[in-house]
Amino acid sequence: MTGVVIFLLLCVLMLTGMPISIALGLTVLSFLFTMTEVPLEAVALKLFTGIEKFEIMAIPFFILAGNFLTHGGVAKRMIRFATALVGHWHGGLALGGVLACALFAAVSGSSPATVVAIGSILLPAMVKQGFPKNFGVGVIGTAGALGILIPPSIVMVIYAVSSNASIGKLFIAGIVPGIMLAALLMFVAWFVAWKRGYPRMRKASWGERWASFRESVWGLLLIVVVIGGIYTGIFTPTEAAAMSAAYAFFVSVYVYKDLTIKQVPKVLIDSANLSAMILYIITNAVLFSYLLTSEQIPQDLAAWITDMGLSPWMFLLVVNILLLIAGNFMEPSSILLITVPVLFPVAMKLGIDPIHLGIVMTVNMEIGMITPPVGLNLYVASGIANMGLTEVSKACAPWIIVMIAFLLLITYVPIISLWLPNLLMP
Amino acid sequence: MLRFLDHLEEWLIAFLIGAATLVIFAAVLHRYAAGMPIPGVQDALLKLNFGWAQELCIFMFVWMAKFGAAYGVRTGIHVGVDVLINALEDRKRAWFILFGLFAGALFTATIGTFGAKFVWGLAGTDQTSPDLEWPIWIVYLAIPLGSFLMCFRFLQVAWSFHKTGQLPHADHGHVEGLDKEAEVEWALMPSDLHPSDVKPGKQP
Repeated sequence: MTGVVIFLLLCVLMLTGMPISIALGLTVLSFLFTMTEVPLEAVALKLFTGIEKFEIMAIPFFILAGNFLTHGGVAKRMIRFATALVGHWHGGLALGGVLACALFAAVSGSSPATVVAIGSILLPAMVKQGFPKNFGVGVIGTAGALGILIPPSIVMVIYAVSSNASIGKLFIAGIVPGIMLAALLMFVAWFVAWKRGYPRMRKASWGERWASFRESVWGLLLIVVVIGGIYTGIFTPTEAAAMSAAYAFFVSVYVYKDLTIKQVPKVLIDSANLSAMILYIITNAVLFSYLLTSEQIPQDLAAWITDMGLSPWMFLLVVNILLLIAGNFMEPSSILLITVPVLFPVAMKLGIDPIHLGIVMTVNMEIGMITPPVGLNLYVASGIANMGLTEVSKACAPWIIVMIAFLLLITYVPIISLWLPNLLMP
Repeated sequence: MLRFLDHLEEWLIAFLIGAATLVIFAAVLHRYAAGMPIPGVQDALLKLNFGWAQELCIFMFVWMAKFGAAYGVRTGIHVGVDVLINALEDRKRAWFILFGLFAGALFTATIGTFGAKFVWGLAGTDQTSPDLEWPIWIVYLAIPLGSFLMCFRFLQVAWSFHKTGQLPHADHGHVEGLDKEAEVEWALMPSDLHPSDVKPGKQP
């Protein structure tokens, strides 16, 4: 009962359009002052200690690393490499677009920035080659979301922080599904292009491929630094994040020379701004989940669900539907911070693997990026393509179906997510 | 005076995120360099102790988070669920926007007061942080300072909204280094993570 009241209050506050962090905080405060016996001191202490976890600090570091490499120059190098590899197949530029999005999104850590960077370079080229514009917008808008699944991923860090799952294992678990999804999107794009006779490009020689690889490899090595560093135990995840930020700085200023030293403060401020926003939601979400736990809500929910005899597969279906709906209204970090504290204990009770649940939730977040009304990718795609939001949503709709099919596969075949982490980190 | 505060805020958060990166970077390098048997160098490195790096990094990020959150109010980066109110007509939406801004001011003022009391209580003790052995109340001073600054920023945004009907808009899809014609005025694009502006004259 209390649980219903808490969530109702939170929903009402959020719908007034105030920042999500403030809505979370006010929900907790109004409860403290009116109906609960949680001691105020305990909450005051939580305010201070809420984000005092070294794991959480991976988030600002990854954001900083991504921002150093979120640059048109990096995008061009990735596109050149991607089209050199796959451009000669049917719908070459679209395939190259998917691959470039996957690479750029993994490195930059931002889906909307990926759509902007890759889309504003590739879309005009695609239209010039004779691709219909809405096909291009659909492909790029969807593929821009790939970065959430391919490590390093901030969304995964947030899931790990709120569930105490291992960041390293989650990152490694994301590799196989990430590659599969990129391959699936490329296959669909290829199939459509082949049916409709979309143009292909001249086959690049191995020399050209090597040259474009050498150009883009500096950016791609960031993924290797993070995954390799964590896997071999050289760094903890947060250290790996800090190293990747230092590495990204070095590459963008001294290797690629996309940035001058003078532009670095701007990158620092922008990264601090975004990180602080997420950390502020986390602080308040920690308070919120503390309130939930002290009111025994996750435990009650878990007991209720086991009493109903809900099987794990039905539970996962409910989780998917819930998250897909939430994805229509909120952005990924807020959704995870609010839902994981409630859903995670239930999932554990039903015997669902924490890593598998993390990957399922991450794929859900990807779909949320391209579903209206709030999908961020749709907004930026409509900006670069000069199309209305409705048209862009229509262009992405067939791709959403592909993504949902993939989500079902990931949900009900856990081995896809668990095989690699269990093999490497038993 | 206000301009000075703005610059101080920007300078502080940029410094903190940059310095935290350097600290962790140096600590990791030190850990591996000290493991290498280079005569002379190894002894010197082993004398250095980086045990405090992790704690310092956490403190820096807590400060960055508090002051960055205040800066974020000024840049309009805090995300919300604005689907509903963006569908309203300007005059009604304006009231919701003001309500949200005042709710933010109320919340941060409450937290600031909580925090000030808490820090006041700590200042009477001689508690120190475990690794750096800094007085803990100075470290936690970030909470009242940051929260009151954030409260001030909410009121500031509310005031300028009252005057002009415009809100600051953050830019989630900004990418440097793209060709000029590819650049779009993101700030002008509607996104339901943030409330839209109202036309001048429609604000309360």
